[in-house]
Amino acid sequence: MNATEIPEQHCTALEEEVAFLSHKILDLNKQLIESEKAKSRFLSLIANELNNPITALLGLVPHLACDHDKQPMCDLVQEELLSLNFRIQNLVAASEIENGEVSLSHSSVNIVDLIDEAQKALRYLFKNNGTTLHTDDRLNRTVVTDPQKLYLILINILANASMYGTHGTEVTVLIEPEETMVKIRVINRGESPHVNLKPQIFTRFAPGPGAHGLGVGLSIVRELSERLGGSTDYDSDERSVSFIIRFPLIESNGDSEACGSNEFLFDSFDDAIEL
Amino acid sequence: MIHGESIFIHVGQIHVDRAPGAISTVLGSCIAVCLYDRINGIGGMNHYLLPFWNGNGLQSPKFGNIAIPKLIESMLAHGANPKTIEAKLFGGASMHALSSDSMMIGHKNILVAREMLKEYNIPIIAEDVGGQLGRKVQLNLDGGKVLMKYAQRSEK
Repeated sequence: MNATEIPEQHCTALEEEVAFLSHKILDLNKQLIESEKAKSRFLSLIANELNNPITALLGLVPHLACDHDKQPMCDLVQEELLSLNFRIQNLVAASEIENGEVSLSHSSVNIVDLIDEAQKALRYLFKNNGTTLHTDDRLNRTVVTDPQKLYLILINILANASMYGTHGTEVTVLIEPEETMVKIRVINRGESPHVNLKPQIFTRFAPGPGAHGLGVGLSIVRELSERLGGSTDYDSDERSVSFIIRFPLIESNGDSEACGSNEFLFDSFDDAIEL
Repeated sequence: MIHGESIFIHVGQIHVDRAPGAISTVLGSCIAVCLYDRINGIGGMNHYLLPFWNGNGLQSPKFGNIAIPKLIESMLAHGANPKTIEAKLFGGASMHALSSDSMMIGHKNILVAREMLKEYNIPIIAEDVGGQLGRKVQLNLDGGKVLMKYAQRSEK
C-alpha cells in the first residue's frame, strides 16, 4: 500500500459519511422547517400589518391636546404605544432576517447618542422598574457601522437589563475598544438568566420564567451582531449579569471611503471566468 | 457590460430582480446559488454560510436549507416559472486547508445545494465549487451569465 493512498481513502470514506449524515439531517430538518413555517409566516404578516398604523399613531399621539386632568391618561397611551412599537420593530426585524432582506447601511455613528435614543424610547419601562442608566464611554469617538441595526441591538439589551434586573438598580453601559473591535458591555444587577441554559438564551420564542417579551429579542440581537461582523455573548457572577456586544472598530468616514478601500469587492471583472 | 444597478449581497441575504442590473457577492466556504429564468428574464441569488438550520434562533437564510427554498419562493413570487428556472452554483471552498477542516463546512454546503435543487427539479447548468480559494461572483440579470474571479490567498 502506498503511503499517500491511505489519507485519500480515509478522505473519500469521510466524505461519503458526511454526505450520508447530511442527507439524514436534511430530511429531519424538513419536518422541523415545515412545522415552523406557519409561525414564521404569521410573524411576517403581523409585522407588516402593524408597522404602518403604529408609526402613524406614534406621530399623532404627542399632538393630542391633553389638559391637566387627562395628562396621566395621555402618558399611559404614550407608554403603551412605545412598548407596542418596540415589540413591532422586533417582529419587523425578525421578519426581515428570516426573509433575507437585511441590508447594511454604514455611516459614522456615535454610540452614546444611540444609547440616549434607546433610553428615551424605554423611558417608561425604566421609570416603572426604577432603572437608572450610567454610560461609561472609553472609546470616545465615532465608529462606522449600521446605526439602525446597532440601535435595535442596544434597545433590546437595555430593555432586558431593565426587565430582568433588580428593581431600582443601575444599568451600566461600558463602551471600550478591544483590539480591532468595539466592545459594549451592558451590566445589570440581578440574578443570572439561566447560565446553564446559555445556548437557549439566544433562541427565539424561548423566554425564561417571568417572561416579559415575545422571546425574539435576543435572537435578533445575535443575528444583527453577526451581520455587523461581530458577536454577542453574556456572562454573570453572583450579583450581576453582563451582555457583551462586539463589532468591528472602523473609524473611516461613511460608505464611500469604506467601499473605495476594498479593491476585491469593487474592482472590475475584466479577467473573470464566464459561466 | 452591466447595465443598471449592481446589488451586493452579504451572508443571509436574498435578492431577486429583473434586468437591467446585476447581483454580486464574495464567497469563501459560503455558497451562492444563482437562479435564472431565461424565458421570463428573472434572476436571483442567495448567500448562505452554514448548511442546516438546527431549530434554534431565527429561520435565517444564512442556512442553506432555509436560503434555497426562500430564493425559489421569491423567484416564483416575482413571476418566474419553476419549469424554466436554471441554477448555477458557486463557493464551498475549504478555507482552512492547512489546518484540519474537520467540520467540512464547504463540503456540506455544496451537498445541501445539490440535494435541494434536485428536490425542486432545478437543473444545475454550471458550477464552480470546492477548492481552497474564495470567489467573487456577479450574476448579470440580462441573460443570466455569471462572471467569477478567484480571490488570491494571502500568505503570511
